[in-house]
Amino acid sequence: MASQRRKRGESRVIRYIILGSWAVFCIAPVLWFLSIGFRPRTEIITPQPIYWPTFSLDAWHMIWSDWPMASYLRNSVLAIIGSVIIDLVLAIPAAYALSRYRFRGREDIGFYILSTRMMAPAIVAIPIFFLFRNMGLLDTIWALMLIYAAVNLSIVTWIIRSYMMDIPKELEDAARTDGASDLRILWEIIIPAVLPGIITAAVIAAIFAINEFLFTLLIASTKNAYTMSVALANFTGGSDGLIYNAIALVAFLAFVPVFIVVVAIQKHLSRGLTMGAVKG
Amino acid sequence: MARIELSGIQKKWGAVWGVRDVNIDIADKEFIVFLGPSGCGKTTTMRMIAGLEDPSEGQITVDGELMNEVDARDRDVAMVFQGYALYPNMTIYENIRFPLRMREVPKADHDRLVREAARMVELEEYLDRKPAALSGGQRQRAALARAIVRKPQCFLMDEPLSNLDAKLRQAMRVQIKHLQRQLKITTVYVTHDQIEAMTLADRIVIMEKGMIQQTGTPDEIYSDPANTFVAGFIGAPPMNLIPGELLGGTFRAPGIEIHDVKLTVDGKVTLGVRPEDCHVTPEAPNMTGTVYGVEPTGDMTFLTMRVGEHLIEVKADREYRRALDLPETVAFDRKRLYFFDTKGGQRLR
Repeated sequence: MASQRRKRGESRVIRYIILGSWAVFCIAPVLWFLSIGFRPRTEIITPQPIYWPTFSLDAWHMIWSDWPMASYLRNSVLAIIGSVIIDLVLAIPAAYALSRYRFRGREDIGFYILSTRMMAPAIVAIPIFFLFRNMGLLDTIWALMLIYAAVNLSIVTWIIRSYMMDIPKELEDAARTDGASDLRILWEIIIPAVLPGIITAAVIAAIFAINEFLFTLLIASTKNAYTMSVALANFTGGSDGLIYNAIALVAFLAFVPVFIVVVAIQKHLSRGLTMGAVKG
Repeated sequence: MARIELSGIQKKWGAVWGVRDVNIDIADKEFIVFLGPSGCGKTTTMRMIAGLEDPSEGQITVDGELMNEVDARDRDVAMVFQGYALYPNMTIYENIRFPLRMREVPKADHDRLVREAARMVELEEYLDRKPAALSGGQRQRAALARAIVRKPQCFLMDEPLSNLDAKLRQAMRVQIKHLQRQLKITTVYVTHDQIEAMTLADRIVIMEKGMIQQTGTPDEIYSDPANTFVAGFIGAPPMNLIPGELLGGTFRAPGIEIHDVKLTVDGKVTLGVRPEDCHVTPEAPNMTGTVYGVEPTGDMTFLTMRVGEHLIEVKADREYRRALDLPETVAFDRKRLYFFDTKGGQRLR
């Protein structure tokens, strides 16, 4: 009895050690970045190891005073929110039609939408540049919203569609015999039922948008449209050379909002990601 | 008021027949049950009445008004589904209120009507709960409340009790019948459970392979089956069907002999006899066999006899006991013997 209890205790210790190591492995780069961000620049590039780093707000002041970080942050947030809204407005009805209505070529359209994701972005980069230039949208947040929305629309539609397919048809039939129109069914029955899926799709789209680099670089040319991801690149060149502590801080700032969102909705996210795949 | 007529209804998906030539006249306030095995077309027929499926051919009329082109949401029917189909994001109160909102019933009446419907199904205490927080029986009652709240022309119920345990099913059956009598609303009920059909229906429509096999009151269906399918489907245990030969008024099959059969046909026929019409007796027996199984149930005993190649079910007295493989003799109730054409299965009269 006692040996069994000891064994169980040991296995729990081993489990904690493994999980603890994994947590340290995951969080270490973030903390490392943070420690770099709050050190003087000279201390970062010194070849000798420094065990007790000096705390410095040089980089913090620099990114806010010398660089238009507030604009970058604002651009990122607006472009992401705008693109996710556009995606949801377009993807929800599209997913509903693809999951519920029977029409010729339904599967082909579904696959076509997904296939747009398979193409390398560089292939369409130049045409998109000309497209936005002709529309007069270069270097605007509107262009970023549109391009992020376009890039992510397929994956958002596909994710929401897979959730909608799991909703029992009986629910819709019940609503229809209760007197609801297609739009009311979508709004009052389907959307609430697939909310975890919609949240999952929105978060994935937001993460993709935060990380988007190529199109932003192409479209943005000033602080009017520069986002955090492109701002990061600005710290790697020029007469100042590589500004590691500033890079680290900006990367950290780019990471924090996503981290907060994912932690806040992780219950929905994990439930959502499995619900779409497995019939309940 | 709702008299529903289905004339020449067909439903086909490509080359697959769902429903074939269904003709039924459902009277106002009638409780009609579609009964049949899975895939027999009973649910499809109901869905066509609801407007959730379009018939390939034929006409559906309600009080003489053609319904074929009328959208489901504009038909004044309320449907109760097998899986309850309660809206998971809404409370029970909101679920029951949903049809009132959709049909634009004046808002001032909503609360009164919802509480009235909830009271009828004894669900008042649970109005603020979500469906997930209710038991199966409570969910089914909530689905019923949602159906009755706006007093539709017609109730459609698609196997509403099949997810409940036996005891709850019996209780809900009584409740459904009581509600239907109280509200006096035409009701179409789909089930594969013959006990539900027999206990609830004013009339039963038995379906198989998309076609109606027989329509009649529960007594007619039980006592006067039109063919071997109906005979074998109704009754628990079902009617014994024994193929044999009729010659000069005498039916013979291995181990069975019945004289003075009042039928003019000769040749291969199938005898139908219900287990309760078989009496264990040594006097003037019609059937001789051996005991294959004895199953006491408390109020009676099921005796299974091996007769020739067949196993025949007999309902014996509650005290009946006999060792296996011993010989046994049985006399049939002569007034309750049925003969069917062996080839087509149709009743011979």
